[in-house]
Amino acid sequence: MGDKIELACIIDDDSVYVRLIKRIIKAKHLCKNVLVFENGKEALVYFETILQNIEEQRIPEIIFLDLNMPMMDGWEFMEEFTKIKNQFNKIITLYIVSSSINPADINKAKSLNGVTDYLIKPVTIKDLESIFGAIENK
Amino acid sequence: MLKNELFNNVMQDFNAGYWELLINPYGENWSDLFYETLGYIKNDKESNLDYFLEHLIHKDDKDVFRDNFLNYRKNSVNFKQHIKIRTNQDVYQLFRCATNDTLPVDIKSETKYVFFFEIKLEPDKTLKKDNFYYKETAQMTATGSWYVDFNKKQSYWDFETYRILEYPEDYIPSLKDSANYYAEDYQQLAAECFFNCAMAGTPFNTEIKMVTANKREFWAKAIGKPMYNDNKEIVGIRGVFQDINESKKKEEGLQKSVDIIAAQNSRLFNFAHIVSHNLRSHTSNLSLLVQLIEDIDDPKEKEELISEVKTISSNLNTTIEHLNEIVTIQTNNKQERLPVKFNEALQLVINGISHMIHQSQSQIRADFSELEEIRYIPAYLESILLNLITNAIKYKHENRFPIITIKSYKEKGNKFLKIMDNGRGIDMALFKDKIFGMYKTFHYNEDAVGIGLFITKNQVESLDGIITVESQVGKGTTFIIQF
Repeated sequence: MGDKIELACIIDDDSVYVRLIKRIIKAKHLCKNVLVFENGKEALVYFETILQNIEEQRIPEIIFLDLNMPMMDGWEFMEEFTKIKNQFNKIITLYIVSSSINPADINKAKSLNGVTDYLIKPVTIKDLESIFGAIENK
Repeated sequence: MLKNELFNNVMQDFNAGYWELLINPYGENWSDLFYETLGYIKNDKESNLDYFLEHLIHKDDKDVFRDNFLNYRKNSVNFKQHIKIRTNQDVYQLFRCATNDTLPVDIKSETKYVFFFEIKLEPDKTLKKDNFYYKETAQMTATGSWYVDFNKKQSYWDFETYRILEYPEDYIPSLKDSANYYAEDYQQLAAECFFNCAMAGTPFNTEIKMVTANKREFWAKAIGKPMYNDNKEIVGIRGVFQDINESKKKEEGLQKSVDIIAAQNSRLFNFAHIVSHNLRSHTSNLSLLVQLIEDIDDPKEKEELISEVKTISSNLNTTIEHLNEIVTIQTNNKQERLPVKFNEALQLVINGISHMIHQSQSQIRADFSELEEIRYIPAYLESILLNLITNAIKYKHENRFPIITIKSYKEKGNKFLKIMDNGRGIDMALFKDKIFGMYKTFHYNEDAVGIGLFITKNQVESLDGIITVESQVGKGTTFIIQF
C-alpha cells in the first residue's frame, strides 16, 4: 500500500490511544497525514473554519470519532457535523470508535446517517488495514 | 336464555333466582326460579323495578336497594345486600342479593345479573344481629358512615364518623363546613368527588387526607355513592370514611424504602458501568499496544513502545484509585454521623488551601447563623466544602476576583447549605447532565479534574441528601445541598 489516502482525522481525548493509532498508521503506511482533536468542539471548529475557504487537501477522507469526550461528545459532534458535511463536496467516511459495549450506543450509532460502522475498542491492526484499503479502492 | 353451558352449571349450583338486566328493550327479566321461590306464577306479576319496589320489597330495604341497583345498572358498581321480599303467603322472606362479581372468575358475562339467594332464618333475628354486626364492624374497622340529604339540606353522621373525626356528639355536620374536614391540599379533590357524585351520579372511592376537630391530619378512604328517589333523581350521597392512617403510614414507609433501594441500586449500576467503561479504555489500549509490539520488527521501536506500557499502567492505577475512593464512600455511609459545626469545618478547609485563596485573592463570606451545625460525617462535610470552594476558585471569572458566599439555613423542616460564586459559570443547556458525571479525561489529568463533583455528589447522596446546581454563564454558579 502506498499512502494513497492523504488525510485521516482522529477525534479522541485518550492520548495513549491516539499515539498508538498514529504509530500503526505510520508503520503500515495507511495514510500520509493525521489530524487529531481532543474533543468534538475542537474538531467542529476546524471543520467550520475550512468551510470558509475550502481546500481539498485539508478535508480528511476518513474520521475516527470517539463517543465519550469532554466539552462536546461524539453524539453532539455528529449532530452538528451532519448539518455541514454536504458542503465539503467530498465523501468523508466516518467510523465511531468507542470502548462502550452498551447495545444502546451501538444501535444508535449504526442508525445514524453518515456513520459507516461502529468499532469497539480495542481496534485491531487488521481492522485498520481493511478500512483504509476499502477507501483506497473506491 | 343463558346459552353458555358453563354459566348454566353455575346457575344450577347457585340454586338462586336472578334478574337479567336488559338494555334493549330496557327492563329486567326475572328468572323462573325467582318467581318460584316467592311462590308466584310467571306473568302474574309485572317484571319491572318499579313494581318490585312498590309491592314486593320490604319498605325498610327499598331505598338502599334502589340506590344499589341503579348504581349497578348505570355505573357497574357491584353490590351485596340483604333484602326482605314479600311472598305469596304475605310474609317477608330474607334474601342475599349479589351481582356479577359473585360469579366465578372464569365466567365473564357481558350481561348484568342480580342474584337472589334465599336465607333461611327468621328475619327478625337477623335484623337485630345485623345491627349488632354493623356496630362491631364500624368500630373494629374504624369506618364511619354518613349521609348527605340534598332535599333537607342536611348531613348525618353515625357514631363512628363522630369518633374518627373527633367531633363532640352534639356537633351538627353541615355541607358548609365540609371543607374543614379535609386537609388543605385535598379540599379540591373532595369537592370534585362530591360534585361529580351529586351532578353526574359518579360514585367515588378515593384516599384522602382528612382533618379532625382537633386539627389532627389523617389518611382516610372516602367512599360515596349517589342515592335516588322514585323518579330516579339523585337526592343525596351516602358513604363511609375509613381511617386508614396506619396502613397509609406503613405504605409511605415502604415507598420510602423502595425509593432508597432504587437509588442505591441505580448508584451501584452506575458504578458498575463506570468501572467497566473506565477499565475497558485501558485494557483496550494495552491490547492495541501488544498488537503493535508483535507487529513491529525494529528492536529500537519496540523498546520505545515499552515505555507506553508505563503510561498505561500509571493511568490504570489512577483510575483504580478513583474507583476505590468511590467504593469507600459507598461503604462509609454506615459511619457514625456526628454533630459538626459548619464554621469549624470551613476553617479547616480554608487553612488547608490558604495559599490558593491568598494567591487568587478570593473572598469567602460565610453565614451560618441560621443553622450552626448538623449531624454529618465530618470528613464528608470538609470534602464537600473543599471541592466546591476549590472549583469556584479554579473556574473564576477572568475579570474579577472570586467571591464565594456560603450560607446554611432551614426551609420547610429541611436543612440546606448554599455555596454561591461569581465565577465564569456553566452553560446549563449544554452541560446540565454532565456536571456531576465522571469524565474519561480525569484519568490522566494530574489534578483529577472531572472527579471532584462526582465524588461530592456521591458523598451527599450516600447520606440521603440531594445536590443541585444553578448557573449562568458569566455570572456564577450556585450549588445547593439538602442534607
